Amino acid sequence: MTEHEWRDQAAGYAMGSLEADERQRFEAHLAECGACRADVASFREVVGLLAYGAPPASVPANLRERVTAEARRVRPLPRPRRVTPAVAGLAAAASIAAVVGLGALARARSEQRALAALLAAARAELAARDSTIAALLGPELHVVSLSATGQEPSVRVFWNHPRSLFVVTAFNLPPAPAGRVYQLWAIPKDKAPISMGTFTTGADGRSTVVVPVSSAVLEAGFIDFCGLTVEPEGGSPQPTEAPRLLGTWRHSE
Amino acid sequence: MARQQATRLEPDTGERDLDLLTRMAAGDQGALDALYTRHGGTAYALARAILGESADAEEVVVDAYAQLWRTAGQFDPSRGSVLAWLTTITRSRALDLLRCRRRRDSALDRMVVLAPPEAAMAAENSAEREEAHALVRRSLGTLPEPQRRAIELAYFRGLSHSEIAAELNEPLGTVKTRIRAGLERLRAQLAPLLSEVQS
Repeated sequence: MTEHEWRDQAAGYAMGSLEADERQRFEAHLAECGACRADVASFREVVGLLAYGAPPASVPANLRERVTAEARRVRPLPRPRRVTPAVAGLAAAASIAAVVGLGALARARSEQRALAALLAAARAELAARDSTIAALLGPELHVVSLSATGQEPSVRVFWNHPRSLFVVTAFNLPPAPAGRVYQLWAIPKDKAPISMGTFTTGADGRSTVVVPVSSAVLEAGFIDFCGLTVEPEGGSPQPTEAPRLLGTWRHSE
Repeated sequence: MARQQATRLEPDTGERDLDLLTRMAAGDQGALDALYTRHGGTAYALARAILGESADAEEVVVDAYAQLWRTAGQFDPSRGSVLAWLTTITRSRALDLLRCRRRRDSALDRMVVLAPPEAAMAAENSAEREEAHALVRRSLGTLPEPQRRAIELAYFRGLSHSEIAAELNEPLGTVKTRIRAGLERLRAQLAPLLSEVQS
């Protein structure tokens, strides 16, 4: 592709008007082209200002109250942490062990039981992580990344075929509102979406879950897309909103 | 020069958008209120231009600000301005709703018409921001009609290049070039507003 054509792509990319396959090709090019990255960044600012071109609208008086009410309800997410929960758990167990060593013998027994429970929980979590990793390392793996424009959450879905498992990892995905969950959908061409399962994220916006692949998904044949929606607790038989995140499946090496 | 422009654009408290975002990340609700005063009207007008119906447009703005509030600490200024972030979120949510609606009811096929430069502004806008709005409108107005139409279809209706080509009955390559040429022209004309970002 000539330089001129890449320049057209940069504008379309900032505008969000590229076709899905074009976007993927351009993103691969962006990774190694500083000039195009700079072009995209400056076009993005222009696109941002286009909002000023919208016809003036008188803002409903209660909108400010609704916006600020949301802030009273939830706290901002903490900045991404470096320590993983499992490691933090073990560190907490170690510090409790140090305190117990100095404490009275009588109290030590119950503390010991608590400690054993804590260690068991940490081990269970590590075992779960091991099996997650094992599922990720298997051969014949499909992977799909769900993404959106701007600084948005990212969700990856790994499909381990031999073990018939989906492994879902989410980052920057705020917890679903109370009474609602995230639901993943396998979307075959020209057919209704099929539920892949539901999950939630923690206050840190992260989640890793392993869900079995349902027979409905296996029988659907070729799956084109994978989408994420927010649904009432327990999930919906069919999505009740347009996907907030969408990705296409691709084969791993 | 760049700093002057930034000041001219953000007269409300003298603070930059980025400073407000930093305070928001620390849980300061007053900073959110200030950011709403500054850009709430723009976000609402944008959602309204895409969705038409005001109940949905309000929902989109509440949602967009909620996301800004929750993820303020993760904002990366090297990737662009706060305004671009807010309008990107607002636009993508509004377009999601629009696509969903379009599937439900394909009859709903409106065209957004951009307002002429002299149109009255929403009361909340400060004089300085009115000036910025007017400059964007004037600049859009000076684009050759085919460029402006292609940009409107992409921006307010979320159409892809091939959908725009079908809508306007024009070759795909022409549409791509029009969008690029239009954005380049706007970039030159809006330089006074953009210098803030590049500084």
